[in-house]
Amino acid sequence: MNDKSDTKDPLEEKIKQLTAEDREEILRVFREKIHYEYAAYLNSCVHCGLCADSCHYYLTHKDIQSMPAYKLSLITGIFKKHFSLIGKKIPWWGGAKEFNREMVREWVDSLFGRCTLCGRCSLNCSMGLNIPYLIRTARSALAAVDLVPQGLQSTVNTALEKGNNMGIAKEDWIETVEWLEEELQSEVKDKDARLPLDKKGSRIFYTVNPREPMFFPLSIVAAGKIFHAAGESWTFSSDNYDVTNYGLYSGDDEAAGTMSDRLVQSMKKLGCKTLVLAECGHGFNSNRWEAPEWLSKKYGFEVRSILEIVAGYIRQGKIKLNPSRNPHPVTLHDPCNLVRLGGIVEQQRYILKHAVSNFVEMTPNREKNFCCGGGGGQLAMTRFSQRRIKAGQIKADQIRKTAAKVVATPCHNCIDQLMELNKHYKLSVEIKTVCEIVANALVLDKS
Amino acid sequence: MLFILRLGVILSFLISVISLSILVLKTFSFGKKPLYAKPQGKSIKGIFYAFGRGMMPWEKESARKHLPTYIVGIMYHASIFAALFYLISIVCSFGLPSLAVPLLRFLLVSGSISGFFLLFRRIFLPYMKKISCPDDFASNIIVSLFLISALVNTYSVHSTPLFFLIATIMFLYIPVGKIRHCFFFVYVRILFGIFYGRRGVFPPKMRKA
Repeated sequence: MNDKSDTKDPLEEKIKQLTAEDREEILRVFREKIHYEYAAYLNSCVHCGLCADSCHYYLTHKDIQSMPAYKLSLITGIFKKHFSLIGKKIPWWGGAKEFNREMVREWVDSLFGRCTLCGRCSLNCSMGLNIPYLIRTARSALAAVDLVPQGLQSTVNTALEKGNNMGIAKEDWIETVEWLEEELQSEVKDKDARLPLDKKGSRIFYTVNPREPMFFPLSIVAAGKIFHAAGESWTFSSDNYDVTNYGLYSGDDEAAGTMSDRLVQSMKKLGCKTLVLAECGHGFNSNRWEAPEWLSKKYGFEVRSILEIVAGYIRQGKIKLNPSRNPHPVTLHDPCNLVRLGGIVEQQRYILKHAVSNFVEMTPNREKNFCCGGGGGQLAMTRFSQRRIKAGQIKADQIRKTAAKVVATPCHNCIDQLMELNKHYKLSVEIKTVCEIVANALVLDKS
Repeated sequence: MLFILRLGVILSFLISVISLSILVLKTFSFGKKPLYAKPQGKSIKGIFYAFGRGMMPWEKESARKHLPTYIVGIMYHASIFAALFYLISIVCSFGLPSLAVPLLRFLLVSGSISGFFLLFRRIFLPYMKKISCPDDFASNIIVSLFLISALVNTYSVHSTPLFFLIATIMFLYIPVGKIRHCFFFVYVRILFGIFYGRRGVFPPKMRKA
């Protein structure tokens, strides 16, 4: 299972120690998570194989285990065996499979280690099966017996325990914001420029990816600069500001709900009107689309991507941009969770067309774009990192073909993966967020 | 004899439709997932997209990259519908217009060839073989035999008993094998359209900057 075979692998040890009751529990949770849509999908794969080369894993690894249809068959096989009459009576006829230890091992390896839940296979499926959501359902069942690969589970645990996935202490966050505020003031040459914390009654509550204060503080300054230029009423929260939600990837709905609910509570506490999600693909999908389902409630406020907000500023003339400040060719990588699964497709293009001199699309793009390989929790699961880098070759080739010098992407997970691909495949490009590019092109009244 | 076989076709067809309906209804026993997130687009437009442009080769990469297989698949399914229509005409004893017969034969010939193309693809492509189970082969063979028997019947009424027999076997097999996707296809494409339509991903022209 592991890329580097290790007999003392803790996950393998857990699998070896699984009892029949554990396997029953996996099946129980699996059954509990299936609703009518998923039941329809599970009855419908025709094994046409047309999904194969829509998957970046299959294209780069060329092994049967990486085919979406194969990965799906691991799930449909169990569904048929345990929840269908024919599968119970004559399992070999329709591909029903026994849920034994080997199958659990294969579930962990393939469903966690060979899928980024990007959803590209769904668009290319003859039927239109929602394969990533079925794979996530199987991940949920594995999560119920603690079979989530360690790095991913640790990220979830840290977020639950510390309030953010990097474990940043509250005082460190506040200090960072204060320091960055000085940076902002210096950059916009305005002592009144603010990175507001806990400002009640603001229109916008802005969330960040905790990687920003830890490793990319300038992207926080960039967002602050844009809000400042637009004269926006906005705030950070000193408590709950983490836009990420690795429960989406681990499959743990309860943990995912807890994390998303924190943002809801902050919205209430701060009395804001709009929850604005920073540039984070899975954070957008989680908080915009999935969280209301995890929490079983309709939100009484708007949830928007920062891209929608910035595009609105440009359209309304609230900010002015000088594209000549970004003279190098810029291409755009579309994060799967934001674009294909999130519906934020044109805003980033509208923004970049106003913010850079030379915008080049990669092919394919928009909802048809290839995953960079960093989604699905892959960046947190070091056991699969060799596969991840190899799977990223498709993206590296796409980038190289554009001859762009800068790759913009509205997602910090994608940024991390693209930075690794940049190094591994010697792309010699700069990787930036969209807001960083916009901030660079901003024309401020005082400048 | 022919009367019994005719009755067999009708009964097996009814059994098939009832069983498929039960199968579809059974999926609802798994419960409904209420949707709380505020939609960004319209489900209905997504559904139209799913059944139209969303299946076209210029829109769907897998169809474009595998154009021969895609075309063969369309021919196969078109000929199945033609054969079913022909079966109805025989069972209900209404004659086809003479102009329709050559078109029917063309569809049945191309459909039969397509069926075997898909079968050989499944047998000889290693990755197809690995994702296939006996049901995949059986489904393909049963439907292809149905098409061939329909074709033969357009030339010789003496083969009608065999045509009816194969049709009966096919109808009885539909609910237990993967041919059930004839029902589930519509169901799943609707779900596909709802998912992407609600999220404002499809249709593309609905998207706003």
